[in-house]
Amino acid sequence: MAATGIRPEVRELTSAEFPAANEVWRDYHGTIGEPARDRIFATFLAGQIVSLARCRGPRPGPGPAAARLAGQIVSLARCRRHPDGLEVDGVFTPDACRNKGYARMVMSALVVACHNDDLYMYAVESLAGFYAGFGFISIPERDLPPGIRERYTWAAGNMEGAEVRPMFRRAGLL
Amino acid sequence: MNVTDIQTALVTDTRNRIAIIAGLAVLTLGGNLLAMVLGAPESLLPLPTLPLTIPIIIASYWYPRRGIPVSVCFASVYAVTTYILSPPGPLLAYTILLRAILLVLIGGVVAFLATKLRESEQQMNQIIEFLPDATFAIDREGKVIAWNRAIEEMTGVKKEAILGRGGYEYAVPFYGEPRPLLADLILHGDPETGYPSVRRDGDVLVAEIHTPLLRGGQGAHIKFAATALLDRSGEVTGAIESIRDVSDEVMTEAALQNAGRQLSTLTGILRTDLANRLAVLYGHLSVGVMKFDDPAVLSFIDDLNNAANGIRRQIEISREFRDIGTSPPAWIPVQQAVRKAAATLSFGNVSLDAWTERLEIFADPHLATVFTHLFENSLAPATKASRIVVTYHLRPEGCAIIVEDDGTGIPDAEKKGLFAQKAESYGHGLFLAHEILAITGISIRETGTFGTGARFEILVPPEGYRVV
Repeated sequence: MAATGIRPEVRELTSAEFPAANEVWRDYHGTIGEPARDRIFATFLAGQIVSLARCRGPRPGPGPAAARLAGQIVSLARCRRHPDGLEVDGVFTPDACRNKGYARMVMSALVVACHNDDLYMYAVESLAGFYAGFGFISIPERDLPPGIRERYTWAAGNMEGAEVRPMFRRAGLL
Repeated sequence: MNVTDIQTALVTDTRNRIAIIAGLAVLTLGGNLLAMVLGAPESLLPLPTLPLTIPIIIASYWYPRRGIPVSVCFASVYAVTTYILSPPGPLLAYTILLRAILLVLIGGVVAFLATKLRESEQQMNQIIEFLPDATFAIDREGKVIAWNRAIEEMTGVKKEAILGRGGYEYAVPFYGEPRPLLADLILHGDPETGYPSVRRDGDVLVAEIHTPLLRGGQGAHIKFAATALLDRSGEVTGAIESIRDVSDEVMTEAALQNAGRQLSTLTGILRTDLANRLAVLYGHLSVGVMKFDDPAVLSFIDDLNNAANGIRRQIEISREFRDIGTSPPAWIPVQQAVRKAAATLSFGNVSLDAWTERLEIFADPHLATVFTHLFENSLAPATKASRIVVTYHLRPEGCAIIVEDDGTGIPDAEKKGLFAQKAESYGHGLFLAHEILAITGISIRETGTFGTGARFEILVPPEGYRVV
């Protein structure tokens, strides 16, 4: 933990809080959340923030999103509903907040919240072991639902070149 | 107006029509004849048939079945007189023949169209005639154009006596005097309809009144529903109104409300009485704990205390039963309902993960009670659960809210009657949960596997949930 009195909390974002997540994702491929098909989960640092100089995220600004944010988003994960399956992506922790277990917390929440469906993802190659801890297993790209596969059409099947690995998690509680 | 008056009017009307047709025929044919006798200019010969089409069209429209014979008759008279009286010419016979055929064709086409129109009107009248609800229709002038069999039975007024009548006479059977009805409100926005409450349901106006005149003077609660009759261009050509006797429904509803009130009062008295006696029992048990120190007796007192707690819980459930359905359903955030339920219970070492943040369902306001009873089952010591998870799952048939734990689960033999009202399961409150959900068409079932935990699925129909 970065400082005394900081209590991490994980919860699902409301639609009004999506802009705050978009702000965090700005450095992560410019990912944008869509309330109609996304569920976004976030780890917050709530309570009295006494030392967060090295762990910067978006501060609550003016507007309804700010009113709901009771702390600072330090890690995000998204579950997107495609017509043919659910895709996990947008798992992102700002550099300054890494190695504190925030991503593990947010992924645990996502996997529990969405455990009623099979989950698919393109995992960053180096994080395949991390996702395996949540029950994800590597699969051939052809086993991904077409709607999810579209995102990496540009890689023309060269997953190693794209440094990603298709993964799958069967529905069920952790 | 009685039946004889109507028959007289019809006969008079028929005579007038025949006289009009005959007059026009005489005028046009006679005009032709006169022109030829007096010597019409050569350029006009043979004389045109246009004037003669007027009586043919009128006759074919009014009497479609006789349209062609009348046309043939008129055309023949025209052809013969014109052929005889016109100066001879090379193509005279052909010209006259073509014009005569044209007259017959005009008569035939008008007769055909008029027949189709009559058939359409007849079909519409048949539909109205056999509607189970008392129904009448008026035209723009407020004259009755339809009065079906059901309204004849309801009011005792025969259609022969009312068709064609205006001046709000159709209101007399209901109010005892001519006055505007809902149909007039449709046509004229008539502010004097005098209904205590008129509501609009799409294009239909609906109102309910009590009239002392129907049911042989015993009075009846009747429900009016009226809407506009439109032509193909959307113009209002009249209005149709149906009247339903809802006396039985109103009386049944009133009786049920009375019974409900009495039952509520009675159960309230019983509940208070039981609670008072229970307080006395708790008092005795407290004294017993202080008075005895024999472990066997204390264990016995503890058992009695547990039984008393069970009775107290059942009193609370009966109070909740009294309240369900008393407030209208509403869109309820599920996460709030879960939190509200959790706040009333002690979880001890059992964790609760609820992941329903953006989900709202249309349900009875006592939705939190449903979760309370589901959580209570998981929290029962015999269940040995250490974790309760609440999630939701979007499916083609709706949204399933899933409440599951990692306890022992529910044996298959018990699943079937889990939500039934039975003495031994009443205390679990699952019947109450089932009833609260059923108010808005939500179902509940248990789909867990015995040995791995209980899993309750609350299935919300597609129109009953939204992710905000």
